[in-house]
Amino acid sequence: MTPRAPVPEDSSIVLDEPAALDEPAAVDAVPWTLSARELRADREVERQLRPVRLAAGRPTATELTIAVAAVAAAAVSAAVVLRGGIAASPAGLAFVLALYVLVCVVAGLAWRRARPWSPYGLALVAYGLVASLYSLGATTQPLVHSLGVLLEIPGSFFVLWLVLSFPSARLDGAGRAALGLAGAVLLVGCLPAIFLLDSLSPTQPLARCGAACPSNPLQVVDNASLARTFGHVDAVGHAVVYGLILTLLAVRFARASRPRRRLLGPVYLFSALLFVATGVYQVAVNLLGASPDATGPAGFGLTAATILFPFGFIAAIVFAYAYVGAALASMVREIGVSSSVTGVEHVVRQVLDDPKAQLAFWLPRSRRYVDRHGRGVVLDEEATSTWRSVERSDGEPMLAIVHDPALDEDPELMEAVGAETMLALENRRLQQDLLDSIAALRASRKRLVAVAAAERRKIERDLHDSAQQMLIAIRIQLELVRGEVGPASRLERQLNRIGTDLDRALDELRSVAHGIYPPLLAEEGLAAALTEAARRTPIPVVLELEEVGRLPEEIETAVYYCCLEALQNAAKHGGPDVAVTMRLWWEPHLLRFSVSDDGVGFVPGENREPTGLTNMLDRLGAIGGRISIRSAPRRGTDVDGAVTVSP
Amino acid sequence: MNGAGPAGEASPRYRIVVAEDAYLVREGIRQVLAQEDEVEVVEFCSDLSSLLQAVDRHDPDVVVTDIRMPPSNTDEGIRAAAALRESRPEMGVVVISQYVSPHYAIKLFEDGSARRAYLLKEHVGHRNHLMGAIREVASGGSVVDPAVVEVLVESRTRARNSPLAHLTPREREVLAGVAEGKSNAAIAKSLFLTKRAVEKNINSIFAKLDLADDTDVSRRVVASLMFLAETGAPYQGVTSQR
Repeated sequence: MTPRAPVPEDSSIVLDEPAALDEPAAVDAVPWTLSARELRADREVERQLRPVRLAAGRPTATELTIAVAAVAAAAVSAAVVLRGGIAASPAGLAFVLALYVLVCVVAGLAWRRARPWSPYGLALVAYGLVASLYSLGATTQPLVHSLGVLLEIPGSFFVLWLVLSFPSARLDGAGRAALGLAGAVLLVGCLPAIFLLDSLSPTQPLARCGAACPSNPLQVVDNASLARTFGHVDAVGHAVVYGLILTLLAVRFARASRPRRRLLGPVYLFSALLFVATGVYQVAVNLLGASPDATGPAGFGLTAATILFPFGFIAAIVFAYAYVGAALASMVREIGVSSSVTGVEHVVRQVLDDPKAQLAFWLPRSRRYVDRHGRGVVLDEEATSTWRSVERSDGEPMLAIVHDPALDEDPELMEAVGAETMLALENRRLQQDLLDSIAALRASRKRLVAVAAAERRKIERDLHDSAQQMLIAIRIQLELVRGEVGPASRLERQLNRIGTDLDRALDELRSVAHGIYPPLLAEEGLAAALTEAARRTPIPVVLELEEVGRLPEEIETAVYYCCLEALQNAAKHGGPDVAVTMRLWWEPHLLRFSVSDDGVGFVPGENREPTGLTNMLDRLGAIGGRISIRSAPRRGTDVDGAVTVSP
Repeated sequence: MNGAGPAGEASPRYRIVVAEDAYLVREGIRQVLAQEDEVEVVEFCSDLSSLLQAVDRHDPDVVVTDIRMPPSNTDEGIRAAAALRESRPEMGVVVISQYVSPHYAIKLFEDGSARRAYLLKEHVGHRNHLMGAIREVASGGSVVDPAVVEVLVESRTRARNSPLAHLTPREREVLAGVAEGKSNAAIAKSLFLTKRAVEKNINSIFAKLDLADDTDVSRRVVASLMFLAETGAPYQGVTSQR
């Protein structure tokens, strides 16, 4: 058995370095290069670029002003606490209060930067700055002291509002009810106590009056036992209100979509800590007589929860950024793998963590959006928080991502995912365009080859049926005339000469007609036609032709001419002692052929870069086949081809 | 059709139907055969179906047919020969062809070579060629145009996996002798064998090449053709003319 070559990977003329030739397989490998003109345009664009403002960029003047104000407020409040001197632990309070002010302002600045449209940032900044006034509760002037303590009332309401309206800065019905209930507790517990107590003490354990608080200038009636009763009402009321609010937060969290939970999580967690600690402290100190100091467990818990509270807002922002980074990374990875529209939508759902997210594609001609099945998608202009359109750089919409309303709070994520999605789909479209144009090119090449083959057949028929028949008729007539003239006469000699010329003309015509199109190929198929071609070649040919049966005309023609070309090349250039082996065989769904000679060979790319080789590549390429031509000096030439034949 | 000719003239030995679609060639054949007293052309046709009808009408001794005719202009002549092998095994067929390809000649002889001849058209004008072929097929023999044989002789193409692969080396030597046109006695002499041994070998060759049913002469022609088609060995003459 003769060794058989492996299927060529793609069409190529090979010596040592394989050179990929005009096959779609090679198109993938084409590097994206820019022409000189494109490079110039690129540089021009670069010159016009302005620095991009990053989320982590340098602080603006407003931010600096706010920061300076916050530092000043923190310093002043610390100084006031230290100078006031009545707090249980002036140094501790000064440190904690300054830290609280700074953390609140920093959280506000972070929010303002990440979500400039949200009132949250400024609300947090304002809260931080106002919180510095809590220091007044540590002073000895009675009125100032009482005002400082009473500031806790609007302060605690502000905290409730921050938590209940998070993250939209709008209160829903339940939120308003919770705030109303807190107001009621204030009216029936806290306010009456204020007018009955002879002195007011701050709630925070660290801020409690060390020795005696200054007298309460707001005291109307001095009734200590009544004041205690109202104090109890206030404590119980607080516990109830915080319990309800905790329940409300739990319910909200449980009902939230996954994208929203990402945002709610840190804020709700730290708020819950604060509310629990406050409630526990109130109940423990007022009802159970526990130590109100920061050193006791209840006092320590409340102090810690208070400091932690503003960190929840910072955590929410940090998590959001971290999530965008992780989402983008996984998106780039996943989209590389699955570039189908369905695949892209799947990846978008995964990274947004929104299983109902949907891609809507803009149809510029009919000016509407459709989903991936082509069904129309109506985007509600009123509910812009549920979708986000992605536009190309020229402002033309390309697609929209229909998403959970919570994701509207995650603009970095939506922007990044939108851009990445557009990129993936645009790439896919470009790739599809490329494949389409390659397919169109191949189809037209196939048509051209088919037309050429049909034309050749027609010419061959014409030659056989007219010119050749006429010459044959004349040859017969000549023979008849020759029979009439006397033998060995001068006329007979002339007629003989004409006969010889006619025979030569007939041979010539036969060979031309066969070269144009071998009738055997159309009538009997590849094996017969190749056998005939080998017989007409003057060099020794060994045939190993499997009877491959009849195949589509374009395949038979392409393979025939490829083999013929290789055979003629071997005869013409292979040297005086060249011998050829020609094979034709089946592999599953694959027609294989090879023409191998033991001739002088050639160096691909050098001296005779034979047009015949290009012809072979063209012919095989037109029917989607592959061919490899290997040669080296003194080592002969191997032509190996493969054509996929659908069953 | 006109019945007997003038008294004293011998009636023709061969009644012939000619099929050829090219007018000029057909006229040439008419003139060539008109010179022959031995033959009477009973009908000229120009395609496959009219040929088969004419054969049914006249029951000729020999059919002379073009290889390529309407309706498909491919190998109608060979198909006619195959059809007549079935329906009228005693009828001779001379296929005249513009193709020098051995493929067609071999195909013509595929179902048996007896009463078949393959001639190139341009040789038809030569009286001896056409008449020789007509006489040969009428008497059960075979003829292959020397030009076709020449292609095989000059060709240096060999095929692997051919029926000849089953022959023993000795049988190949004997077959080479046959293809060279040698008689059994000459082969025996050149190979230092007895004449009996050569005959045994030849019978074995015919059996292996599936040629058991033909006459000896046509078997020798076909075996030689196959040998030449697949080995390209030199050869002097395949036409067997008695």
